[in-house]
Amino acid sequence: MATAAITIRGLTKCYGNLTALDGFDLEVDQGTIFGLLGPNGAGKTTLIRILTTLMRQTSGESFIEGLDTRSSGREIRRLIGVVPQENSLDRYLTARENLELHARLHGMEPRHYRKRIDELLDLMGLADRQKDFPDTYSGGMQRRLVVTRALLHEPHVLFLDEPTTGLDPQSRRAVWDYVKSIAGSMTIFLTTHYLEEAEQLCDRIAIMDHGKLIALGSTQELKDHLAGGTYYLIEFGEDAERYGALLRHMDCVRQAEVNGNSVCVGLESWECLSEVVTALNGAPVRRIALREQTLEDVFISLTGGKVRG
Amino acid sequence: MFKGACAIWRRDMLVLRRSIFSEMAAVVAYPLTIYLAFGIGMKGYIGLVDGVPYSLFIAPGLITMTAVNAAYSESTWSLWFHRKVQFTIESYRVTPISVSEIVIAKILSGFSHGVVKGLAVGLVIFIITPFRFSPAHLLAYLAFLIPGSALFSCAGVICGTIMDKPETIGRVEAIFIMPLIFMSGLFFPLSSYPADVMPLVRALPTTALFEGARHALVSGVFPVDFALQVACTAMLTFGAAVWIFRLKMSE
Repeated sequence: MATAAITIRGLTKCYGNLTALDGFDLEVDQGTIFGLLGPNGAGKTTLIRILTTLMRQTSGESFIEGLDTRSSGREIRRLIGVVPQENSLDRYLTARENLELHARLHGMEPRHYRKRIDELLDLMGLADRQKDFPDTYSGGMQRRLVVTRALLHEPHVLFLDEPTTGLDPQSRRAVWDYVKSIAGSMTIFLTTHYLEEAEQLCDRIAIMDHGKLIALGSTQELKDHLAGGTYYLIEFGEDAERYGALLRHMDCVRQAEVNGNSVCVGLESWECLSEVVTALNGAPVRRIALREQTLEDVFISLTGGKVRG
Repeated sequence: MFKGACAIWRRDMLVLRRSIFSEMAAVVAYPLTIYLAFGIGMKGYIGLVDGVPYSLFIAPGLITMTAVNAAYSESTWSLWFHRKVQFTIESYRVTPISVSEIVIAKILSGFSHGVVKGLAVGLVIFIITPFRFSPAHLLAYLAFLIPGSALFSCAGVICGTIMDKPETIGRVEAIFIMPLIFMSGLFFPLSSYPADVMPLVRALPTTALFEGARHALVSGVFPVDFALQVACTAMLTFGAAVWIFRLKMSE
């Protein structure tokens, strides 16, 4: 059996009285795109800092391709690429010089890194601007340059800490397209606030809050886990409140929320729909539509609706 | 092992090379103004100090002051900027180099700034004055300038590591660094001090640096005790800088 790209067992990190990570367990398979979601302060960045050897845990274990983050820092850093939240580009070096410095820090030989830089700059659409300083780049271009830097030494595991935060939709799409294009060639560990991003890119998703793992699975598994069935939107000509109350009392209805003339009904399973239709016989039903659960529904139901600072 | 340190030092030297002319103008202007105002302007009023013209008396100190100031400023501000503003230290730390290599690179860069800028001021003073020194004097002087720049570069790294706010860095410069430099006999002979405070003044590494540098350059005397004091303090400060930086990075 292949070694997991990332293995985390009982990982705990305390800052004084604050527990940022609380017995966190996780395993990420090689070659997958893994998404880590969580509200602000959930412990995502602490987890990434431990995995990238920037920080030591209080207790527990974490491994990158079988290497212990506590004792094999240098070896791990050869294997990983990191796109941090902040761009961390050197504004006094040109784009190409930024990449050359990074290549030297990875001990790459000039004949290797020159070719690799040319290829990556071409691929990321930055070749024409390689002699410019990063300050003259747009936010999207700077982000692409940071991603290029992280890929330069051909890492096995790529950490993307909120890679598209602050980007316009076009630049975000460009980063997504690139991440999709390299999927399979390396393991990608991504944290994001954009649920659509996780939904679009990730094979598996973990949701964490208060330093703990609270859900894990594919997007569909997480949606199924939340609803345990399906949601329908039923639009009435009148008396939506009365029909909402009627539906709420049915055994196979998990929830019924009235919004204007519509009632959003959560069913135990899709088979319950005929029961609902029968119960509404004679009611002024205008439309019944299947409402897909979104990852956002899952996220909010698991972490609470309020935004935390 | 030092490939990483070398890569970061090369980066710093590339940036210095790019801005060398604008930097030099600023670096040379300050000591040169002092030299013209005190060394030449006051020459007629002060006369000989320790048997040499006042303008010659202050020349080695001004060169040394430029070097150590440049070393200190470069290390402090560069480290603070890369750590708190540009976050480049973090980008270095996710590569296979060690934390020690990063701090050694920054100390080397500060030291290089100090030596280059000190020598530039020395060259300007050499051009505008009639004083000429033998190569032996110059070599003896370098034996102070080099460890002195290293010492201040290490001190700068310590400040840039432990201080998170720029205003604190400015305060340390005003309260500690400048008084240490100015009170170490840069503009006046140590004999001006009352006898009671003399042991304290002589114990300062900056006194050893400025006095030793002057003796070496002006009279060709090589004060071994001063040279050892500067070298030992530089080595101790180097150890402290590496240790403090590693400690800060592990937080």
